[in-house]
Amino acid sequence: MPDLRARLFRPARDPAWGAAAALLASFAVSFVAMAASGRDPVDGFGHLLSGAFGGPGPLGETALKTSILILTGLSVAVALIVGLFNIGAEGQLIWGALAAAVVGRLEVPGVMLLALLAAALAGGAWGLIAGWLKVRRGVHEVISTILLNWIAIHLIQGWLVPGPLAATGSGAHVSVAGTEAIQRGAWLPRLWPGTRLDLGFPLALLIALGVWFLLSRTRRGFEWRAVGAGPDAALAAGIPAGRRICEGMALSGALAGIGGALLILGTEHRYPGVFRTGYGFDGIAVALVGGGSPAATAIAALVFGALRAGATRLQLVGIHPSFAELTQGLAVLLVAAPRMFQPLLARLRGRDAVPP
Amino acid sequence: MNALELTGIRKRFGAVAAVDGVSCAVAEGEVLALVGENGAGKSSLISVACGLYRPDSGSVRAFGRELPPGDPRAAIEARIGAVHQHFMLVGPLTVWENVVLGREPRRRGFIDAARARREVAEGAERCGLAVDPQARVETLGVAAQQRVEIVKQLWRGARVLILDEPTALLSPQESAALLRTVRALAEEGRAVVFVSHKLREVLDVADRIAVLRRGRLVQISRRSETDADKIAGALIEGPATAPEASARQGERGPVLLTVRELSCASDRGRPALRGLSFELQRGEILGVAGVDGNGQSELAEVLTGLRRADGTASLGNDVSFHRSPAAARRAGVAHLPEDRQRRGLCLPLSVEENLALGHHALPPYARGPLIDRAGRREKARELIEGFDVRPADPLARAAALSGGNQQKLVAARELAGGPPPRLIVAVHPTRGLDPFAARRVHQALRAARDRGAGVLLISLDLDELRALADRILVLFEGRSAGEAEPEAGDDRLGRMMLGQEPARA
Amino acid sequence: MNLVLDFAAPLVFAALGGVLSERAGVVNIGLEGMMRFGAFGAAAGAIASGSPWIGLACGALAGAAAAALHALLSLRFRANQVVSGIALNLVALGLVTYLLQSIFGSAGVSPEAPSLPRDRFGHTALAYAALVVPVLFQLWLSRTPAGLRVRAVGEHPRAAATLGVRVLPLRAVCVVCSGLLAGIGGATLSVGILGQFDARMPAGQGFMALAAVVFGRWTPLGAAGAAFFFAAADALQRHLSLTLHAADLRLDGLFLALPYALTLLVLALGIGRTRAPAADGIPYDPEART
Repeated sequence: MPDLRARLFRPARDPAWGAAAALLASFAVSFVAMAASGRDPVDGFGHLLSGAFGGPGPLGETALKTSILILTGLSVAVALIVGLFNIGAEGQLIWGALAAAVVGRLEVPGVMLLALLAAALAGGAWGLIAGWLKVRRGVHEVISTILLNWIAIHLIQGWLVPGPLAATGSGAHVSVAGTEAIQRGAWLPRLWPGTRLDLGFPLALLIALGVWFLLSRTRRGFEWRAVGAGPDAALAAGIPAGRRICEGMALSGALAGIGGALLILGTEHRYPGVFRTGYGFDGIAVALVGGGSPAATAIAALVFGALRAGATRLQLVGIHPSFAELTQGLAVLLVAAPRMFQPLLARLRGRDAVPP
Repeated sequence: MNALELTGIRKRFGAVAAVDGVSCAVAEGEVLALVGENGAGKSSLISVACGLYRPDSGSVRAFGRELPPGDPRAAIEARIGAVHQHFMLVGPLTVWENVVLGREPRRRGFIDAARARREVAEGAERCGLAVDPQARVETLGVAAQQRVEIVKQLWRGARVLILDEPTALLSPQESAALLRTVRALAEEGRAVVFVSHKLREVLDVADRIAVLRRGRLVQISRRSETDADKIAGALIEGPATAPEASARQGERGPVLLTVRELSCASDRGRPALRGLSFELQRGEILGVAGVDGNGQSELAEVLTGLRRADGTASLGNDVSFHRSPAAARRAGVAHLPEDRQRRGLCLPLSVEENLALGHHALPPYARGPLIDRAGRREKARELIEGFDVRPADPLARAAALSGGNQQKLVAARELAGGPPPRLIVAVHPTRGLDPFAARRVHQALRAARDRGAGVLLISLDLDELRALADRILVLFEGRSAGEAEPEAGDDRLGRMMLGQEPARA
Repeated sequence: MNLVLDFAAPLVFAALGGVLSERAGVVNIGLEGMMRFGAFGAAAGAIASGSPWIGLACGALAGAAAAALHALLSLRFRANQVVSGIALNLVALGLVTYLLQSIFGSAGVSPEAPSLPRDRFGHTALAYAALVVPVLFQLWLSRTPAGLRVRAVGEHPRAAATLGVRVLPLRAVCVVCSGLLAGIGGATLSVGILGQFDARMPAGQGFMALAAVVFGRWTPLGAAGAAFFFAAADALQRHLSLTLHAADLRLDGLFLALPYALTLLVLALGIGRTRAPAADGIPYDPEART
């Protein structure tokens, strides 16, 4: 069946298959790692699966985590489209979260939308800084976004939340309390009773669809892609490359910021005193596995979302949830080096080439 | 005994055979010229010879000993030295550091810098090549960098010197000096492999001439037994390119572009243009000659809106047409940029997307804020056919095209992709192209001129300027060194390019 | 102010690692992960052997092993170096926690590990090494044949290759040694300062080291100077929060953000023209057609 074989062995050329192969391989390696540490891997993966998909509760958790990862993944993907490597989704996300937590306290109609908007603006502004520094000052975005992450983390979690924005009554020493709770009206409505599935999931899907349309069907999207594919050529063609890069980074930051808002409006309902999300960093993994395409990014977000949701169940068999991070890191490792598979594929092809 | 002997060399890149079974040799005291079109396999062959590429089959022998394949150290030890087309110099390091890199003289574990400097200065002096060992390489001009390269190879005791397109960036005078150096080195007993596609130079300097075509050796003969026609015949398949008439069809029109006292700085902040003035008429090709780095690149960038300048440049009555690339494009300026891969194309995008680039906001490429996918596809097919871009696939990635087809792609877009251009700025439009692709580009430029556009043709290739231009403007140190008619001889143009011919009133 | 030397040591070692790797042309975002492996390896080694010195060696080797993975991915398989570094950080985060729990049964901290001896000023040998090593490194880079080759390979690898310098092996050695240094930096945290491994280690120090590399313009002395400066800012913050009761004002976040903000400011203002090595981050393909 040469047809099937040709399709099976496309991964070396086709990034989507390469990503799928990398995901599978990373699961295989973690399977072995689990066995090596003396646990029953079949049992472990059973718990993982039931934690992700076994019933409404787990499904809701998976959807919840997937929706945030879609947004941070898209954030990184959009930046990649304009040619920048945004390591700063985490910082943009927490600014968005903080903005949602602050605006969500206002007693005005439409507070939920307002909070989402504020989060997009806050995240977008933080992303814009990196874009501006790149365009105007030639500061490499990998460096600037790393720096901006730590500035955001320390400013928000080391000063604003425990300091000026701390809930009254939480007292100077009860810093875990976080900010004041947001209005009920700002909560994202739950869609499935008994689960934590809320409006965030369909919203994230809708945004992914919008990003896809923007990138592949509009003039502006074409200009973004041209700038990412060849900034000098785009500039010579009359596209204001610097402005497009800034726009891309602002959109990138806004997407991450909305991700932060979904966390606050959907589940936390305040900016908590201890808020270690990691969704921003996971977004890098999601975007890389998704290879920059919005649809593939959404699928990768689902895989990692399920992994995150399922990993909490692993504690039942004595495996720390950091297992999810390990698998995710391995997946990025494998996606990063598609050439790693080439000798293997060449050997498989070579063997096939010998007539039976 | 042969100093360098290549036997049955084959080297493939993917599906393409770059070198396909070539055998040749060069003896001590001999200059062997390798000629061939672009993509004929010259560069790949010499990369195999100096161990940078590992050949798929075949062997390299130096002074009778076989070299291990793909090992640059072994080639260096066998005293093979190559001066590559793109200089292999580390910019931020000094001249002496570049020369001794990899074979540093040592003293107590540290580099013996004093000895290195002394030896480099002495070596350079012995061969009559002036270089300052202490200078940082990135501050030197092209000719000086080339001298550093040669000194570097000689310091390493190269007995076989390979020069890859050494005159491509030099003025006629600098080229002549280089050819003298090459002869002198051969008379000292060194073997020289001289790669070029300029027949005149090759006939001047070589003892034997080898012609490559599509990776194969099609002819090898003594200088005394061949001539330009025989080589040209072997070089090009089918009928040799006959020189085409350049006669202008339309009448020269009114003044289109007026440049007055134009000044600007280079990327390094030094003055690049210093009060340049000239005029360009409608229906005229104005050739711009000059040694590389005398303001040509900056002039093109100013006129296409990519660089700020003082002074005035007006297109018709429009004095601010060059305030931005977008404004220049709207005013009808087309640009065939110097670096087509960086500035002309978005390599990861498809052919049709590249054809739309810059015109993408206009019909048939767009409808309002949306992309008109059907219109874009149709227009792309039309342009691909009109300019003979191969493969004729609108969805192929631009990166997958050969250099010649990439340039055809840029030409198609700039000359025919949008509204007809009024001014065309073409910089080295055929550099690196084979004669067929080059002819195609020349035809397109002539056709645009005959439609009434003004063409500013910046080129280092005097033959190209002569064939195409109606007038030649010579740039020297950012100013006009005068104008010449296309029939002017090499000496006169050469003297003007070096600033030795006073500009005529 | 005695604190400065202690705080600076881990940063100095990791930053020197960053300088080495980047001068050879390999971007190293994975410093954080390498430090984490180093910190854990050192604690585990010290606990298992009872000797902090063996622990230190284990930490250095753990960092080097992680760096070897980075070298393999980015040099052998020509992976994007930023991606490879990020992957390394992610793996370090998951794997070390996983190992911590598997070996010591706790996901928070390791048991107490034997720590390095201190002199009468309270400093370990590593603190003094952090003063000396940068100077030696600077001399090595600027005056020795190997240093010249590293600089050449980071600026124009093909040119170096034509002269017989083996680009990929040299880069690999530099990356592995970079991990060795980052591993020592991590070990300084666990067996040097705290005396045990904490699951949060190195808490962003790897990224701060990266900032120091940039702040110090990719030179050993510059990066080490930046590391000392950052450590001084950290020490000052702790000093202030003790004396001024600034803790009640909750200003520590502002102080902690300061090194990053300053680095960003230096970059933004372009003070002294910071320039990365020309070939930094660009994979070298020996067979690429030029």
